[in-house]
Amino acid sequence: MTPGRLAYIALNAAILIFILAPIAIIFVFAVNPVPYIDFPPSGFTWDWFVQFFTSDIFMRSLWLSLRVAAIVTLLAVFFGATASLAIARGNLPGARTITAFVLSPLMLPAILTGLALFQAYMFLDIGRPLWGLVMGHVLVTTPYVVRTTLAVLHNFDTRLEEAATNLGAGPVRVYFEVTLPLIKPGVIAGGIFAFIVSFDQFPVSLFLIGPGNETLPITLFNYLKFEMDGRIAAASVVSILISLVVVIGIDRTVGLRSYGKM
Amino acid sequence: MSASIHIERASKVYDGAVRAVDRIDMDIREGEFFALLGPSGCGKTTTLRMIAGFEQPTEGTIRVSGKDVTGVPAHKRDMGMVFQNYALFPHRTVRENVGFGLRMRGIDKATVARKVDRALEMVSLSAMGERRPAQLSGGQQQRVALARAIVIEPRVLLCDEPLGALDKKLRQQMQFELKELQKTLGVTTVFVTHDQEEAMAMSDRIAIMNGGRVEQIGTPSEIYNRPKTRFAADFIGDTNLLSGKVVERDGGKVLVVAEDGFEIPGADHHPGGVVHAALRPEKIVLHPDESDAPCIVRGRIDSANFLGDSILYRIALPKGRHVLARAANTAHSRMLPPGAMTRLDWQPSDLVFLAD
Ligand SMILES: Nc1ncnc2c1ncn2[C@@H]1O[C@H](COP(=O)(O)OP(=O)(O)OP(=O)(O)O)[C@@H](O)[C@H]1O
Ligand SMILES: [Mg+2]
Repeated sequence: MTPGRLAYIALNAAILIFILAPIAIIFVFAVNPVPYIDFPPSGFTWDWFVQFFTSDIFMRSLWLSLRVAAIVTLLAVFFGATASLAIARGNLPGARTITAFVLSPLMLPAILTGLALFQAYMFLDIGRPLWGLVMGHVLVTTPYVVRTTLAVLHNFDTRLEEAATNLGAGPVRVYFEVTLPLIKPGVIAGGIFAFIVSFDQFPVSLFLIGPGNETLPITLFNYLKFEMDGRIAAASVVSILISLVVVIGIDRTVGLRSYGKM
Repeated sequence: MSASIHIERASKVYDGAVRAVDRIDMDIREGEFFALLGPSGCGKTTTLRMIAGFEQPTEGTIRVSGKDVTGVPAHKRDMGMVFQNYALFPHRTVRENVGFGLRMRGIDKATVARKVDRALEMVSLSAMGERRPAQLSGGQQQRVALARAIVIEPRVLLCDEPLGALDKKLRQQMQFELKELQKTLGVTTVFVTHDQEEAMAMSDRIAIMNGGRVEQIGTPSEIYNRPKTRFAADFIGDTNLLSGKVVERDGGKVLVVAEDGFEIPGADHHPGGVVHAALRPEKIVLHPDESDAPCIVRGRIDSANFLGDSILYRIALPKGRHVLARAANTAHSRMLPPGAMTRLDWQPSDLVFLAD
């Protein structure tokens, strides 16, 4: 092995350790019997997980977070994909300005978006209903879908659609037979981002959550204010696993791979 | 059912400024193999796209089998198109690609399968049905594109430089196969190319295009032997362009090629003004200059290129201008060495007068 190759492997290992170490620490914390961060662990227990899964508050907020993330993902995918198609294909005047506008929540700190929404809802006298929270999440997740879908559309060979048209497909069939299948990987990648961003959304939720409607990150935060024990770590591990299952599950079923040559 | 296509004074203006196609007229007959030939940017693709319905003519009309198709959307025109980069659906197998048009027509599965089988057989790809386009070579992709276009039995087959991406050998083979297939099916075919040899080899008729206009329409031999414009003469094959004045002399007409100071008898053209004429290199007869026998002009061999079946000479005329002359390579011909003086002769009728 050449020194260059060795250095290359070492660098990659360092990067992986840097990314994965915090997650590993959480895992260790979650199965360590003592209620504080301690290394090396003084034992092994599933206790914190049991406590997490039997806690009413945690379960209610986990379930709410999952439902919110699912609805948010569907809406973000719908709005994001349609907006991208309009931007890329619509011959709209000022398409660049529209793109910048749609993507702007990505540029702003989410806490500002949350505060702005909070004030807008107050001003409009909407209060803090659940759908208000969902719309807030949609606002900050749609840009991810737009970003990934636009990237695919940018490289899209429109002659494929012309070929389908030429073979007798009307506009609707062209869309479902050619356009949609080919932009699907981009849309789905964006959808996964949307799910994860919504699922562990904190700053926007902080402002928009109504009483009794806490999502998991908010519940964890409230809990952390008073106590710090392994249940927090167990909850984090569960969140990580859920995100992982979503990514792998979607990849296995609908697929993330693009079709290479287009 | 094959169709005829009539294009009448059709233009396409992009963004109110670019005249991509400029008042063209074409009559493409039923079952004909019709090539659009011209340099890059001359409007070939635009013309094809107007026929296919992807672009609306800014002015003029296009009729297919007598019916005006303005306003008929592309997906109802029943034309098969082979795109330059094939535009195969990357997410579908070869069979699905070929069957796409049939499926869009609502044909039942069994019939689709049968027709797809037959189409794949025609292009010798029966074994590749389950592959995806990315798993095929360029030539194979080209055949899939062709099969996909002909399986719907279109009224018209449109091809936009379908062989452009293939290497020379494969290209010649595909030219032959495509032409055979077209003859068997009898489908009216409009074939875009910028390769004059390809157009000559395959077409019943060729439209030479230049700058959005049609320079000439004719059979390959008409265009080769009787080019109408300087552009057409120059674009197809090697040619010598001469210009001068036609004058009356001793009751007959001659062309005076001013710059080279020689006269060509028997000019079949009205006297007056500057006229242009084309002379193919193989029409020039060379005689070694051993006597002062009469001839049209004398020159000195500048260079001789041995081409196998012929020899191409570059000959300097007295005033320094060069012409090309091609001599067949026969058993008893001998190559004239560079520097040798030669007499040049040709039949007056071989001189083709050009419109401009
Ligand atoms: N969508 C468009 N918008 C503006 N101008 C265009 C458009 N499409 C083509 N043109 C212009 O119209 C002219 C003719 O283009 P066209 O594609 O028909 O040429 P072509 O003969 O097919 O050339 P090539 O051999 O390079 O493919 C060119 O000058 C081109 O720049
Ligand atoms: Mg072109």
